[in-house]
Amino acid sequence: MLEIRFHGRGGQGAVVASELLAQAAFLDGKRPQSFPFFGVERRGAPVTAYCRIDDREVRLRTSITRPDIVVVLEPGLLRAGSAMEGLKPDGILLVNSREEPAALPAPAGVRRASVDATTIALTHGLGTPMMPIVNTAILGALAAASGAVSLGALEQAIDRFVPAHPAENRAAARDGAAAVRVAPPLTAGHSRGASSAVARAPPLELPDAPMAVASSATIATAAWRTLRPEIDQRRCTRCNFCWKFCPDVAIELNAEGFPVVHLEHCKGCGICAAECPPGAIAMVAEG
Amino acid sequence: MVKLTIPATELVRPGHAACPGCGPALAMRLLLKGLGPRTVLSMPACCWTVIATPYPTTALGVALLDNPIESTGASISGIRAAVDALAIPDVTVVGFAGDGGTADIGLQALSGMLERRTNAIYVMYDNEAYMNTGIQRSGATPEGAWTTTTPVGGAGRGKPERKKDIMGIVLAHRPVYAATLNPSFPEDFVRKAAKAREIAGPRFLHVFAPCPPGWRYSSEETIEIGRLATDTGVFPLYEVADGHLRLTRRLSSLKPIGEYLGRQGRYAHLTPEERARLQAEVRSGWERILREDASGSPGGPFSSRSSHAATKGDTVEAA
Ligand SMILES: Cc1ncc(C[n+]2csc(CCOP(=O)(O)OP(=O)(O)O)c2C)c(N)n1
Ligand code: SF4
Ligand code: SF4
Repeated sequence: MLEIRFHGRGGQGAVVASELLAQAAFLDGKRPQSFPFFGVERRGAPVTAYCRIDDREVRLRTSITRPDIVVVLEPGLLRAGSAMEGLKPDGILLVNSREEPAALPAPAGVRRASVDATTIALTHGLGTPMMPIVNTAILGALAAASGAVSLGALEQAIDRFVPAHPAENRAAARDGAAAVRVAPPLTAGHSRGASSAVARAPPLELPDAPMAVASSATIATAAWRTLRPEIDQRRCTRCNFCWKFCPDVAIELNAEGFPVVHLEHCKGCGICAAECPPGAIAMVAEG
Repeated sequence: MVKLTIPATELVRPGHAACPGCGPALAMRLLLKGLGPRTVLSMPACCWTVIATPYPTTALGVALLDNPIESTGASISGIRAAVDALAIPDVTVVGFAGDGGTADIGLQALSGMLERRTNAIYVMYDNEAYMNTGIQRSGATPEGAWTTTTPVGGAGRGKPERKKDIMGIVLAHRPVYAATLNPSFPEDFVRKAAKAREIAGPRFLHVFAPCPPGWRYSSEETIEIGRLATDTGVFPLYEVADGHLRLTRRLSSLKPIGEYLGRQGRYAHLTPEERARLQAEVRSGWERILREDASGSPGGPFSSRSSHAATKGDTVEAA
C-alpha cells in the first residue's frame, strides 16, 4: 500500500488534489481512498489531505502518520516543520518550489523532488498570483516522479472530475510531469530538517471534561501568511491605529509606544498596512 | 507612554483560528476591552466557537460555555440565575452569537430572554450569512447579496428578500439598552460595550462584522468596508437607552451606496437599477432614524419605550 499525504493552504486545492489522485488510481485499476483532515478550513490555514493506493480494498480508516510520499503545495509550509513528520526513510518529498530539489531540507534517504507548479498554474490561467491553483501541476509532477499513477489516468480523472478549465488543468499536469526535478537522497550525517525517525510529540495530559488546558497563544499561525508587515519606524507617528485594528492581537506597543509585530501570530491580513495613516507599514512577500 | 483611546488589556489571545482579516475576531477583541475580565460568555455553534477553541486551547481570557445553536438566549437566563443563586458578585453574563444563530435559529430563545427581563447582554455579530458552514444565506443577509444558497447566474440575482430588521424585533421587547456597534469605530464600540455593562436588565448589541471570504473582498479592506457601511447609511451607529434613540455618528450627508457595494464581490453582479433600489431603501431607513433621533424615540409600529422611560414621561412618539 502506498500512503500519500498532501500539505497545502485553505483555498489552494490540496483536498481536491488528493481526490483527483485517488480517482486516477481507480482508473489505473487500483483500490484507492482519499479524505481530508477535518480541521479549520480557513482561507490560508494549513490543510492536510490523505490518499491511500492499494491493489486490494483499503480498510484502514485512520489518518496517515507514516507516509511514503509527502506532497507540499507551498514551500512556506515546510517552515512549519510538521509536513515531513513521519516520512519514511526511503520515501519521497515533492515540493512546489522554484528551488532545485538538492536545496530542499530532508532526512537522509528521502528522495527530494521539486517543481515550479505556481508558474505552471499561472501560465495556464489557473487561480490568481495571490492564490494560484497548483494542484493539477503538482499531480503531474507526482505521477512522473513516483509512478503512483499513470499520467494518462490522471488526465482522464481531470477531464471527468474538474468542472472548470479541464483542458488547462490537463496541460498543467503534463507540464508538471515534464518539469519535475529529482535529487538523490542525502546520506546520513548530511541530512537537514526533521529526521524521519522523529518521535511524535508526547500526548497531552487532557482532563476528562472538554476543558481547554492551554492558551491559543501557544499556537503559531505564522504559516498562514504569504505577506509580512514591515514597519518603518522613522515614518511611524505612534498613532497606534495598527494596534487598534489587528484582528489577531499580533501587534504590541513597546515602552515608547512603537508597534512591534509578533510574527509567530501575524496572519498577514494587511489591515495594519491599509490603516496606517502615514503609510509606514509595507506588506512584503515571505521568502 | 502614548495615550491610548481604548483599554490596553487584551482578553482575546493570539493564535486563534479566524481567517486573516476577520471582522468578528476584531469585534470580540474590542467587545471584551469594554466588558472586562469578569465576563461569562455563552456561545452557540458559529465561526467564533471554531475561532476560540483550537483544541485543547482557548483564545479567550474569560469563561466560555458552548451551547446548542438555538439556545443562547435561554442559556444566559440560566447562567444569570445560577450566578445570582450563588451570589457571585460583579459578573457580566453575555450571550454571543452569529446572525444565523440569533435572527433565525435562536430567535425564540432571544425573545424569551428579553421578555423575562434577564439581566444579561446579548450580542449578535452580524457577518450576514451562515459563514462557519460555508456562506449560506441567513435572515440577516441583505437583499441582492450573493451566497452559496442565493446564487448569481440564470435567474439567480443573489438574495431576493430584504434583510431582517433584528433591531426592530429587539426594540419591540423594550430592552433597557440596545445599540449598533462597528469595529471600524473602536472608541464608540468600546464605549457602548462598557456602558452596556453598567446597566442592569436585558441589553442587546448589534455588531457589524465584515467577513472577507463570505463577502468576497481582500482581507486588508475589513476596516474600510466597515467605515463605508456606516458612512453610506447601510449600518447607522446609534443607541437606544430607556426608549431614547440617539445617533452616535451623525453625518451631514450619506456617501453613495456604490462606494460600499463596489468593494465586495458578493454585490458584483448588481445592475445600476438594482443598486438604485438598494440606495433608495438605505436612504429611507436613514431618514427614519434621523426622525427618531430628533424625536428621541424609535417610532413605527414598535415603540421601544421601556416602562422605566414611560414613567419619566419624557418620550415622544415619532410620526
Ligand atoms: C441545530 C443546528 N443546526 C445546524 C448546525 C450547524 N451549524 C454550525 S455553525 C453554523 C452557522 C452559524 O451561522 P451564524 O450564526 O450566522 O454564525 P457564523 O458562522 O456566520 O459566524 C451552523 C448552521 C448546528 N450546529 N446546530
Ligand atoms: S498583517 Fe494583519 S495579522 Fe499581521 S500584524 Fe498586521 S493586522 Fe495583524
Ligand atoms: S468565515 Fe468570515 S466570520 Fe468566519 S472566521 Fe472567516 S472571516 Fe471570520
